[in-house]
Amino acid sequence: MTAATGAQGRIGYEGQDADNPELQEGHRPATGGPSHEASWLRRARANHLGLKLAPVGIALLALVVYLYYQSLGLNDAVIQLRSSLEWGTKLWPQTLQHLQIAFWSTLLVVVVAIPLGIMLTRPPLRRYGPAIVAVANSGQALPAYGLLILFLSLLGQGKWTVIWALTLYALLPVLRNTMVGLDGVDRNIIEAGRGMGLTRMQALTKIELPLAVPVILAGVRVAMILNIGMATLAFLIGGGGLGVTINSGLKLQQDPVLIIGAALVAIVALTFDWIGALAETYLRPKGV
Amino acid sequence: MDGIISWFDYISGRPDEILADTWDHAKITLTVVIAATIFSVLLGVYAQRRPTVRALSLSITGIFLTIPSLALFAIFIPIVGIGNTPAMLALFLYALLPILRNTVTGLDSVPPAVVESAKGMGMSTMSQLFQIRIPLAWPIIMAGIRISSLITVGIAAIAVLVGGDGLGTYIQSGLTRLGLPNSLESVWTGVVFTVVLGLVLDLVWATFQRVTTTKGQRM
Repeated sequence: MTAATGAQGRIGYEGQDADNPELQEGHRPATGGPSHEASWLRRARANHLGLKLAPVGIALLALVVYLYYQSLGLNDAVIQLRSSLEWGTKLWPQTLQHLQIAFWSTLLVVVVAIPLGIMLTRPPLRRYGPAIVAVANSGQALPAYGLLILFLSLLGQGKWTVIWALTLYALLPVLRNTMVGLDGVDRNIIEAGRGMGLTRMQALTKIELPLAVPVILAGVRVAMILNIGMATLAFLIGGGGLGVTINSGLKLQQDPVLIIGAALVAIVALTFDWIGALAETYLRPKGV
Repeated sequence: MDGIISWFDYISGRPDEILADTWDHAKITLTVVIAATIFSVLLGVYAQRRPTVRALSLSITGIFLTIPSLALFAIFIPIVGIGNTPAMLALFLYALLPILRNTVTGLDSVPPAVVESAKGMGMSTMSQLFQIRIPLAWPIIMAGIRISSLITVGIAAIAVLVGGDGLGTYIQSGLTRLGLPNSLESVWTGVVFTVVLGLVLDLVWATFQRVTTTKGQRM
Protein backbone atom coordinates (compact mmCIF):
# COMPACT_ATOMS: atom_id res chain seq x y z
CA MET A 1 0.00 0.00 0.00
CA THR A 2 1.39 3.36 -0.94
CA ALA A 3 1.34 6.77 0.57
CA ALA A 4 -1.81 7.85 -1.23
CA THR A 5 -3.86 5.34 0.64
CA GLY A 6 -1.87 5.61 3.81
CA ALA A 7 -3.65 8.69 5.05
CA GLN A 8 -7.07 7.57 4.04
CA GLY A 9 -6.81 3.93 4.80
CA ARG A 10 -8.16 1.68 2.17
CA ILE A 11 -11.65 2.09 0.89
CA GLY A 12 -13.34 -1.22 1.34
CA TYR A 13 -16.83 -2.07 0.29
CA GLU A 14 -19.31 -4.44 1.66
CA GLY A 15 -20.58 -4.73 -1.84
CA GLN A 16 -24.22 -5.49 -1.50
CA ASP A 17 -25.17 -2.84 0.92
CA ALA A 18 -26.99 -0.06 -0.81
CA ASP A 19 -25.63 2.76 1.30
CA ASN A 20 -24.07 5.71 -0.35
CA PRO A 21 -20.46 4.78 -0.91
CA GLU A 22 -19.13 8.33 -0.94
CA LEU A 23 -18.90 8.24 2.80
CA GLN A 24 -17.05 5.04 3.10
CA GLU A 25 -13.95 7.16 3.28
CA GLY A 26 -11.38 4.59 4.16
CA HIS A 27 -11.04 3.60 7.73
CA ARG A 28 -13.31 0.71 7.17
CA PRO A 29 -11.51 -2.19 8.70
CA ALA A 30 -11.57 -5.27 6.54
CA THR A 31 -13.54 -7.23 9.06
CA GLY A 32 -16.48 -7.74 6.73
CA GLY A 33 -19.02 -6.42 9.17
CA PRO A 34 -19.64 -7.28 12.77
CA SER A 35 -19.39 -10.89 13.76
CA HIS A 36 -22.53 -10.67 15.82
CA GLU A 37 -24.67 -9.88 12.82
CA ALA A 38 -28.07 -11.55 12.97
CA SER A 39 -28.50 -14.47 10.65
CA TRP A 40 -31.58 -13.06 8.94
CA LEU A 41 -29.58 -10.00 8.10
CA ARG A 42 -26.73 -12.01 6.66
CA ARG A 43 -29.18 -13.98 4.57
CA ALA A 44 -30.89 -10.77 3.45
CA ARG A 45 -27.54 -9.39 2.38
CA ALA A 46 -26.62 -12.55 0.49
CA ASN A 47 -29.93 -12.39 -1.38
CA HIS A 48 -29.47 -8.68 -2.18
CA LEU A 49 -32.65 -8.00 -0.27
CA GLY A 50 -32.00 -4.25 -0.21
CA LEU A 51 -31.60 -4.20 -3.97
CA LYS A 52 -34.90 -6.02 -4.36
CA LEU A 53 -36.83 -3.88 -1.89
CA ALA A 54 -35.59 -0.54 -3.22
CA PRO A 55 -37.70 -0.56 -6.41
CA VAL A 56 -40.78 -1.43 -4.33
CA GLY A 57 -40.13 1.57 -2.10
CA ILE A 58 -39.55 3.85 -5.07
CA ALA A 59 -42.73 2.60 -6.75
CA LEU A 60 -44.69 3.28 -3.56
CA LEU A 61 -43.28 6.80 -3.39
CA ALA A 62 -44.22 7.31 -7.05
CA LEU A 63 -47.73 6.05 -6.33
CA VAL A 64 -48.13 8.47 -3.42
CA VAL A 65 -46.94 11.35 -5.60
CA TYR A 66 -49.32 10.29 -8.37
CA LEU A 67 -52.30 10.14 -5.99
CA TYR A 68 -51.35 13.51 -4.57
CA TYR A 69 -51.07 14.91 -8.09
CA GLN A 70 -54.53 13.57 -8.96
CA SER A 71 -56.01 14.90 -5.74
CA LEU A 72 -54.98 18.46 -6.57
CA GLY A 73 -57.85 18.79 -9.06
CA LEU A 74 -55.70 20.65 -11.52
CA ASN A 75 -58.49 21.40 -13.98
CA ASP A 76 -60.14 23.81 -11.58
CA ALA A 77 -56.96 25.03 -9.94
CA VAL A 78 -55.49 28.52 -10.14
CA ILE A 79 -53.43 29.21 -13.22
CA GLN A 80 -50.08 29.24 -11.35
CA LEU A 81 -50.71 25.75 -10.11
CA ARG A 82 -52.23 24.37 -13.29
CA SER A 83 -49.65 25.65 -15.71
CA SER A 84 -46.59 24.74 -13.66
CA LEU A 85 -47.77 21.20 -13.13
CA GLU A 86 -48.83 20.28 -16.67
CA TRP A 87 -47.37 16.87 -17.30
CA GLY A 88 -46.98 17.00 -21.09
CA THR A 89 -45.48 20.48 -21.42
CA LYS A 90 -43.69 20.95 -18.12
CA LEU A 91 -42.95 17.99 -15.91
CA TRP A 92 -42.10 15.34 -18.46
CA PRO A 93 -39.84 17.45 -20.71
CA GLN A 94 -38.09 18.73 -17.58
CA THR A 95 -37.49 15.20 -16.38
CA LEU A 96 -35.96 14.36 -19.75
CA GLN A 97 -33.75 17.45 -19.66
CA HIS A 98 -32.71 16.55 -16.15
CA LEU A 99 -31.70 13.06 -17.23
CA GLN A 100 -29.86 14.35 -20.30
CA ILE A 101 -27.79 16.71 -18.18
CA ALA A 102 -26.99 13.99 -15.66
CA PHE A 103 -26.21 11.45 -18.38
CA TRP A 104 -23.79 13.59 -20.40
CA SER A 105 -21.99 14.99 -17.40
CA THR A 106 -21.55 11.55 -15.87
CA LEU A 107 -20.29 10.16 -19.18
CA LEU A 108 -17.80 13.00 -19.52
CA VAL A 109 -16.64 12.47 -15.96
CA VAL A 110 -15.97 8.81 -16.65
CA VAL A 111 -14.15 9.56 -19.90
CA VAL A 112 -11.93 12.18 -18.26
CA ALA A 113 -11.45 11.02 -14.68
CA ILE A 114 -10.62 7.35 -15.09
CA PRO A 115 -7.76 7.80 -17.61
CA LEU A 116 -6.53 10.74 -15.54
CA GLY A 117 -6.61 8.61 -12.42
CA ILE A 118 -4.68 5.85 -14.20
CA MET A 119 -2.08 8.35 -15.40
CA LEU A 120 -1.64 9.81 -11.94
CA THR A 121 -0.93 6.42 -10.41
CA ARG A 122 1.83 5.56 -12.94
CA PRO A 123 5.40 5.92 -11.72
CA PRO A 124 6.35 9.33 -13.18
CA LEU A 125 3.38 11.11 -11.61
CA ARG A 126 2.80 8.83 -8.72
CA ARG A 127 4.41 10.98 -6.07
CA TYR A 128 1.81 13.71 -6.63
CA GLY A 129 -0.92 11.20 -5.77
CA PRO A 130 -1.36 12.03 -2.07
CA ALA A 131 -1.53 15.74 -2.79
CA ILE A 132 -4.18 15.21 -5.46
CA VAL A 133 -6.24 12.94 -3.23
CA ALA A 134 -6.08 15.61 -0.52
CA VAL A 135 -7.26 18.29 -2.97
CA ALA A 136 -10.02 15.98 -4.15
CA ASN A 137 -11.16 15.52 -0.57
CA SER A 138 -11.28 19.20 0.26
CA GLY A 139 -12.98 19.82 -3.09
CA GLN A 140 -16.12 18.53 -1.43
CA ALA A 141 -16.55 22.00 0.02
CA LEU A 142 -16.72 23.52 -3.47
CA PRO A 143 -20.17 25.05 -3.91
CA ALA A 144 -21.73 23.73 -7.13
CA TYR A 145 -23.95 26.79 -7.18
CA GLY A 146 -20.98 29.12 -7.59
CA LEU A 147 -19.32 26.85 -10.10
CA LEU A 148 -22.43 26.99 -12.31
CA ILE A 149 -22.46 30.77 -12.29
CA LEU A 150 -18.74 30.98 -13.10
CA PHE A 151 -19.30 28.66 -16.05
CA LEU A 152 -22.27 30.77 -17.09
CA SER A 153 -19.98 33.77 -17.35
CA LEU A 154 -17.53 31.76 -19.46
CA LEU A 155 -19.81 29.75 -21.74
CA GLY A 156 -23.15 31.54 -21.73
CA GLN A 157 -26.55 30.08 -20.97
CA GLY A 158 -27.81 26.65 -21.75
CA LYS A 159 -27.69 22.98 -21.13
CA TRP A 160 -24.07 22.40 -22.13
CA THR A 161 -22.80 25.00 -19.70
CA VAL A 162 -24.46 23.01 -16.94
CA ILE A 163 -23.01 19.78 -18.28
CA TRP A 164 -19.45 21.13 -18.28
CA ALA A 165 -19.79 22.64 -14.83
CA LEU A 166 -21.14 19.38 -13.43
CA THR A 167 -18.39 17.43 -15.15
CA LEU A 168 -15.81 19.46 -13.29
CA TYR A 169 -17.76 19.20 -10.04
CA ALA A 170 -18.21 15.43 -10.14
CA LEU A 171 -14.72 14.75 -11.48
CA LEU A 172 -13.13 14.69 -8.05
CA PRO A 173 -14.90 11.67 -6.50
CA VAL A 174 -14.23 9.50 -9.55
CA LEU A 175 -10.63 10.65 -9.80
CA ARG A 176 -10.09 10.01 -6.11
CA ASN A 177 -11.70 6.59 -6.19
CA THR A 178 -9.79 5.58 -9.30
CA MET A 179 -6.52 6.52 -7.64
CA VAL A 180 -7.38 4.99 -4.29
CA GLY A 181 -8.71 1.86 -5.99
CA LEU A 182 -5.58 1.39 -8.10
CA ASP A 183 -3.31 2.13 -5.16
CA GLY A 184 -5.18 -0.32 -3.02
CA VAL A 185 -4.19 -3.21 -5.28
CA ASP A 186 -1.66 -5.38 -3.49
CA ARG A 187 1.81 -4.62 -4.86
CA ASN A 188 2.76 -8.28 -4.51
CA ILE A 189 0.05 -9.34 -6.94
CA ILE A 190 1.36 -6.90 -9.52
CA GLU A 191 4.91 -8.09 -8.86
CA ALA A 192 3.76 -11.64 -9.37
CA GLY A 193 2.11 -10.69 -12.63
CA ARG A 194 5.20 -8.86 -13.80
CA GLY A 195 7.30 -11.85 -12.84
CA MET A 196 5.11 -14.04 -15.00
CA GLY A 197 6.08 -11.85 -17.94
CA LEU A 198 3.22 -9.36 -18.14
CA THR A 199 4.18 -5.94 -19.50
CA ARG A 200 3.26 -2.86 -17.45
CA MET A 201 0.27 -2.32 -19.71
CA GLN A 202 -0.92 -5.88 -19.30
CA ALA A 203 -0.47 -5.70 -15.54
CA LEU A 204 -2.63 -2.61 -15.59
CA THR A 205 -5.43 -4.02 -17.71
CA LYS A 206 -5.39 -7.58 -16.43
CA ILE A 207 -4.63 -7.10 -12.74
CA GLU A 208 -4.92 -3.55 -11.45
CA LEU A 209 -8.05 -2.33 -13.23
CA PRO A 210 -10.18 -5.44 -12.62
CA LEU A 211 -9.25 -5.38 -8.94
CA ALA A 212 -10.00 -1.67 -8.69
CA VAL A 213 -13.35 -1.91 -10.49
CA PRO A 214 -15.53 -2.01 -7.35
CA VAL A 215 -13.98 1.16 -5.95
CA ILE A 216 -14.08 2.94 -9.33
CA LEU A 217 -17.72 1.98 -9.86
CA ALA A 218 -18.56 3.31 -6.42
CA GLY A 219 -17.00 6.62 -7.44
CA VAL A 220 -18.98 6.69 -10.68
CA ARG A 221 -22.17 6.07 -8.75
CA VAL A 222 -21.40 8.97 -6.43
CA ALA A 223 -20.70 11.17 -9.44
CA MET A 224 -24.00 10.19 -11.03
CA ILE A 225 -25.95 11.01 -7.87
CA LEU A 226 -24.11 14.32 -7.47
CA ASN A 227 -24.91 15.15 -11.07
CA ILE A 228 -28.60 14.36 -10.71
CA GLY A 229 -28.66 16.46 -7.57
CA MET A 230 -26.84 19.41 -9.04
CA ALA A 231 -28.83 19.26 -12.28
CA THR A 232 -31.62 20.57 -10.06
CA LEU A 233 -29.74 23.88 -10.08
CA ALA A 234 -29.56 23.99 -13.89
CA PHE A 235 -32.63 26.23 -13.99
CA LEU A 236 -30.49 29.04 -12.55
CA ILE A 237 -28.62 29.39 -15.81
CA GLY A 238 -31.32 28.42 -18.24
CA GLY A 239 -30.47 24.75 -18.44
CA GLY A 240 -33.96 23.45 -17.65
CA GLY A 241 -34.50 20.36 -15.58
CA LEU A 242 -36.85 19.70 -12.70
CA GLY A 243 -35.38 22.58 -10.72
CA VAL A 244 -37.64 24.81 -12.84
CA THR A 245 -40.69 23.34 -11.18
CA ILE A 246 -39.22 23.62 -7.67
CA ASN A 247 -38.30 27.22 -8.39
CA SER A 248 -41.79 28.01 -9.72
CA GLY A 249 -43.19 26.61 -6.52
CA LEU A 250 -40.85 28.80 -4.49
CA LYS A 251 -41.45 31.98 -6.46
CA LEU A 252 -45.21 31.57 -6.87
CA GLN A 253 -45.59 30.33 -3.29
CA GLN A 254 -47.44 27.25 -4.43
CA ASP A 255 -46.53 24.47 -2.05
CA PRO A 256 -48.04 21.68 -4.21
CA VAL A 257 -45.75 22.69 -7.08
CA LEU A 258 -42.78 22.67 -4.74
CA ILE A 259 -43.68 19.27 -3.35
CA ILE A 260 -44.32 17.63 -6.71
CA GLY A 261 -41.08 19.02 -8.15
CA ALA A 262 -39.00 17.94 -5.18
CA ALA A 263 -40.64 14.52 -5.06
CA LEU A 264 -39.99 13.92 -8.77
CA VAL A 265 -36.31 14.82 -8.36
CA ALA A 266 -36.11 12.50 -5.38
CA ILE A 267 -37.71 9.67 -7.35
CA VAL A 268 -35.28 10.18 -10.24
CA ALA A 269 -32.30 10.25 -7.88
CA LEU A 270 -33.38 7.20 -5.91
CA THR A 271 -34.07 5.24 -9.10
CA PHE A 272 -30.66 5.95 -10.50
CA ASP A 273 -28.98 5.26 -7.20
CA TRP A 274 -30.66 1.86 -7.30
CA ILE A 275 -29.45 1.28 -10.86
CA GLY A 276 -25.98 2.26 -9.69
CA ALA A 277 -26.18 -0.24 -6.84
CA LEU A 278 -27.27 -2.93 -9.31
CA ALA A 279 -24.34 -2.09 -11.55
CA GLU A 280 -21.94 -2.20 -8.60
CA THR A 281 -23.20 -5.61 -7.62
CA TYR A 282 -23.33 -7.22 -11.02
CA LEU A 283 -20.52 -5.50 -12.92
CA ARG A 284 -17.78 -6.33 -10.48
CA PRO A 285 -15.45 -8.99 -11.87
CA LYS A 286 -16.11 -12.46 -10.58
CA GLY A 287 -13.94 -13.38 -7.65
CA VAL A 288 -13.46 -9.84 -6.42
CA MET B 1 -4.64 39.40 -14.02
CA ASP B 2 -7.00 42.40 -14.08
CA GLY B 3 -9.67 40.10 -12.79
CA ILE B 4 -7.63 39.15 -9.76
CA ILE B 5 -6.76 42.74 -8.99
CA SER B 6 -10.36 43.86 -9.23
CA TRP B 7 -11.37 40.93 -7.06
CA PHE B 8 -8.92 42.04 -4.38
CA ASP B 9 -10.35 45.54 -4.71
CA TYR B 10 -13.80 44.10 -4.25
CA ILE B 11 -13.02 42.18 -1.07
CA SER B 12 -10.82 44.86 0.43
CA GLY B 13 -13.70 47.30 -0.08
CA ARG B 14 -16.08 45.35 2.13
CA PRO B 15 -14.18 43.17 4.59
CA ASP B 16 -16.69 43.52 7.45
CA GLU B 17 -19.60 42.47 5.29
CA ILE B 18 -17.77 39.43 3.93
CA LEU B 19 -16.57 38.36 7.35
CA ALA B 20 -20.09 38.68 8.74
CA ASP B 21 -21.49 36.47 5.99
CA THR B 22 -18.66 33.98 6.39
CA TRP B 23 -19.46 33.87 10.09
CA ASP B 24 -23.16 33.27 9.31
CA HIS B 25 -22.14 30.45 7.01
CA ALA B 26 -19.85 29.02 9.69
CA LYS B 27 -22.62 29.25 12.29
CA ILE B 28 -25.02 27.32 10.08
CA THR B 29 -22.39 24.67 9.40
CA LEU B 30 -21.24 24.32 12.99
CA THR B 31 -24.76 24.14 14.41
CA VAL B 32 -25.69 21.48 11.90
CA VAL B 33 -22.52 19.43 12.32
CA ILE B 34 -22.61 19.56 16.12
CA ALA B 35 -26.27 18.57 16.20
CA ALA B 36 -25.63 15.78 13.71
CA THR B 37 -22.64 14.59 15.70
CA ILE B 38 -24.59 14.31 18.93
CA PHE B 39 -27.46 12.53 17.22
CA SER B 40 -25.33 10.20 15.11
CA VAL B 41 -22.87 9.20 17.80
CA LEU B 42 -25.71 8.36 20.20
CA LEU B 43 -27.55 6.47 17.48
CA GLY B 44 -24.35 4.77 16.37
CA VAL B 45 -23.53 3.57 19.88
CA TYR B 46 -27.08 2.29 20.24
CA ALA B 47 -27.23 0.69 16.80
CA GLN B 48 -23.80 -0.89 16.58
CA ARG B 49 -24.77 -4.15 18.28
CA ARG B 50 -28.37 -4.21 17.12
CA PRO B 51 -28.33 -5.51 13.53
CA THR B 52 -31.84 -4.39 12.59
CA VAL B 53 -31.50 -0.84 13.88
CA ARG B 54 -28.04 -0.68 12.36
CA ALA B 55 -29.14 -1.75 8.88
CA LEU B 56 -32.23 0.47 8.97
CA SER B 57 -30.49 3.60 10.26
CA LEU B 58 -27.62 3.27 7.80
CA SER B 59 -29.87 2.81 4.79
CA ILE B 60 -32.29 5.57 5.77
CA THR B 61 -29.51 8.11 6.31
CA GLY B 62 -28.05 6.88 3.01
CA ILE B 63 -31.33 7.70 1.27
CA PHE B 64 -31.23 11.26 2.67
CA LEU B 65 -27.87 11.79 1.04
CA THR B 66 -29.22 10.63 -2.31
CA ILE B 67 -32.00 13.22 -2.42
CA PRO B 68 -30.90 16.36 -4.28
CA SER B 69 -30.24 19.31 -1.99
CA LEU B 70 -32.62 21.82 -3.50
CA ALA B 71 -35.41 19.23 -3.34
CA LEU B 72 -34.74 18.46 0.31
CA PHE B 73 -34.54 22.16 1.17
CA ALA B 74 -37.81 22.74 -0.67
CA ILE B 75 -39.67 19.90 1.00
CA PHE B 76 -39.27 21.56 4.41
CA ILE B 77 -40.61 24.93 3.28
CA PRO B 78 -44.33 24.06 3.54
CA ILE B 79 -43.62 22.88 7.10
CA VAL B 80 -41.25 25.47 8.56
CA GLY B 81 -41.39 28.39 6.10
CA ILE B 82 -38.44 30.01 4.35
CA GLY B 83 -35.19 31.15 5.91
CA ASN B 84 -32.37 29.28 7.57
CA THR B 85 -34.56 26.65 9.21
CA PRO B 86 -35.42 24.50 6.16
CA ALA B 87 -31.80 24.68 5.03
CA MET B 88 -30.49 23.63 8.42
CA LEU B 89 -32.96 20.76 8.70
CA ALA B 90 -31.94 19.47 5.28
CA LEU B 91 -28.23 19.91 6.02
CA PHE B 92 -28.69 18.06 9.30
CA LEU B 93 -30.11 15.08 7.41
CA TYR B 94 -27.16 15.19 4.99
CA ALA B 95 -24.61 15.32 7.78
CA LEU B 96 -25.91 12.20 9.52
CA LEU B 97 -24.58 9.36 7.39
CA PRO B 98 -20.84 10.11 7.43
CA ILE B 99 -20.79 10.39 11.22
CA LEU B 100 -23.15 7.49 11.87
CA ARG B 101 -21.30 5.21 9.50
CA ASN B 102 -17.91 6.06 10.96
CA THR B 103 -19.19 5.71 14.52
CA VAL B 104 -20.42 2.22 13.75
CA THR B 105 -17.30 1.15 11.87
CA GLY B 106 -15.13 2.83 14.50
CA LEU B 107 -16.77 0.86 17.30
CA ASP B 108 -16.49 -2.28 15.16
CA SER B 109 -12.76 -1.78 14.89
CA VAL B 110 -12.20 -1.82 18.65
CA PRO B 111 -10.46 -5.15 19.35
CA PRO B 112 -12.83 -7.43 21.30
CA ALA B 113 -9.91 -8.53 23.49
CA VAL B 114 -9.48 -4.99 24.80
CA VAL B 115 -13.15 -4.76 25.71
CA GLU B 116 -12.95 -8.20 27.33
CA SER B 117 -10.04 -7.20 29.52
CA ALA B 118 -11.86 -4.00 30.50
CA LYS B 119 -14.79 -6.16 31.52
CA GLY B 120 -12.42 -8.45 33.41
CA MET B 121 -11.09 -5.46 35.31
CA GLY B 122 -14.60 -4.87 36.53
CA MET B 123 -15.53 -1.84 34.40
CA SER B 124 -19.23 -1.15 34.05
CA THR B 125 -20.80 -1.06 30.58
CA MET B 126 -20.82 2.73 30.69
CA SER B 127 -17.18 3.09 31.66
CA GLN B 128 -16.25 0.54 29.00
CA LEU B 129 -18.05 2.73 26.50
CA PHE B 130 -16.59 6.04 27.63
CA GLN B 131 -13.13 4.93 28.67
CA ILE B 132 -12.39 2.22 26.14
CA ARG B 133 -14.66 1.95 23.14
CA ILE B 134 -15.33 5.57 22.24
CA PRO B 135 -11.73 6.73 22.81
CA LEU B 136 -10.46 3.94 20.57
CA ALA B 137 -13.05 4.66 17.89
CA TRP B 138 -12.57 8.42 18.19
CA PRO B 139 -10.16 9.03 15.27
CA ILE B 140 -12.59 7.27 12.92
CA ILE B 141 -15.60 9.13 14.31
CA MET B 142 -13.70 12.40 13.89
CA ALA B 143 -12.96 11.53 10.27
CA GLY B 144 -16.71 11.22 9.73
CA ILE B 145 -17.32 14.56 11.42
CA ARG B 146 -14.78 16.21 9.15
CA ILE B 147 -16.39 14.78 6.01
CA SER B 148 -19.79 15.98 7.20
CA SER B 149 -18.39 19.42 7.87
CA LEU B 150 -16.93 19.69 4.34
CA ILE B 151 -20.14 18.50 2.70
CA THR B 152 -22.24 20.85 4.81
CA VAL B 153 -20.12 23.91 4.01
CA GLY B 154 -20.48 23.25 0.28
CA ILE B 155 -24.21 22.58 0.26
CA ALA B 156 -24.99 25.44 2.66
CA ALA B 157 -24.19 27.82 -0.22
CA ILE B 158 -27.54 26.79 -1.72
CA ALA B 159 -29.43 27.89 1.40
CA VAL B 160 -29.81 31.33 -0.13
CA LEU B 161 -32.26 29.90 -2.69
CA VAL B 162 -34.69 29.11 0.11
CA GLY B 163 -34.18 32.42 1.88
CA GLY B 164 -31.21 31.53 4.06
CA ASP B 165 -28.03 33.46 4.84
CA GLY B 166 -24.41 32.64 4.29
CA LEU B 167 -21.90 33.02 1.51
CA GLY B 168 -24.44 31.90 -1.10
CA THR B 169 -25.75 35.48 -1.03
CA TYR B 170 -22.62 36.61 -2.91
CA ILE B 171 -23.15 33.97 -5.56
CA GLN B 172 -26.79 34.86 -5.94
CA SER B 173 -26.23 38.60 -6.10
CA GLY B 174 -23.55 37.97 -8.71
CA LEU B 175 -25.98 35.91 -10.77
CA THR B 176 -28.76 38.46 -10.65
CA ARG B 177 -26.38 41.24 -11.71
CA LEU B 178 -24.35 39.20 -14.17
CA GLY B 179 -22.65 41.43 -16.74
CA LEU B 180 -22.74 44.47 -14.47
CA PRO B 181 -19.65 45.68 -12.62
CA ASN B 182 -18.49 43.55 -9.70
CA SER B 183 -20.88 40.70 -10.45
CA LEU B 184 -18.20 38.11 -11.15
CA GLU B 185 -16.12 39.39 -8.26
CA SER B 186 -19.11 38.74 -6.06
CA VAL B 187 -19.51 35.15 -7.33
CA TRP B 188 -15.79 34.48 -6.85
CA THR B 189 -16.05 35.84 -3.34
CA GLY B 190 -18.82 33.36 -2.57
CA VAL B 191 -16.95 30.43 -4.06
CA VAL B 192 -13.50 31.18 -2.68
CA PHE B 193 -14.66 32.01 0.82
CA THR B 194 -16.84 28.90 0.94
CA VAL B 195 -13.90 26.67 0.06
CA VAL B 196 -11.61 28.54 2.46
CA LEU B 197 -14.20 28.26 5.21
CA GLY B 198 -14.40 24.52 4.53
CA LEU B 199 -10.64 24.21 4.91
CA VAL B 200 -10.52 26.40 8.02
CA LEU B 201 -13.26 24.39 9.69
CA ASP B 202 -11.44 21.21 8.73
CA LEU B 203 -8.36 22.60 10.44
CA VAL B 204 -10.43 23.45 13.50
CA TRP B 205 -11.74 19.89 13.61
CA ALA B 206 -8.23 18.54 13.13
CA THR B 207 -7.04 20.56 16.13
CA PHE B 208 -10.06 19.43 18.11
CA GLN B 209 -9.24 15.86 17.16
CA ARG B 210 -5.65 16.25 18.39
CA VAL B 211 -6.80 17.67 21.68
CA THR B 212 -9.49 15.07 22.28
CA THR B 213 -7.60 11.97 21.17
CA THR B 214 -6.13 10.05 24.09
CA LYS B 215 -2.34 10.06 24.30
CA GLY B 216 -1.80 6.44 23.36
CA GLN B 217 -3.83 6.93 20.19
CA ARG B 218 -1.83 9.85 18.83
CA MET B 219 0.52 9.08 16.02
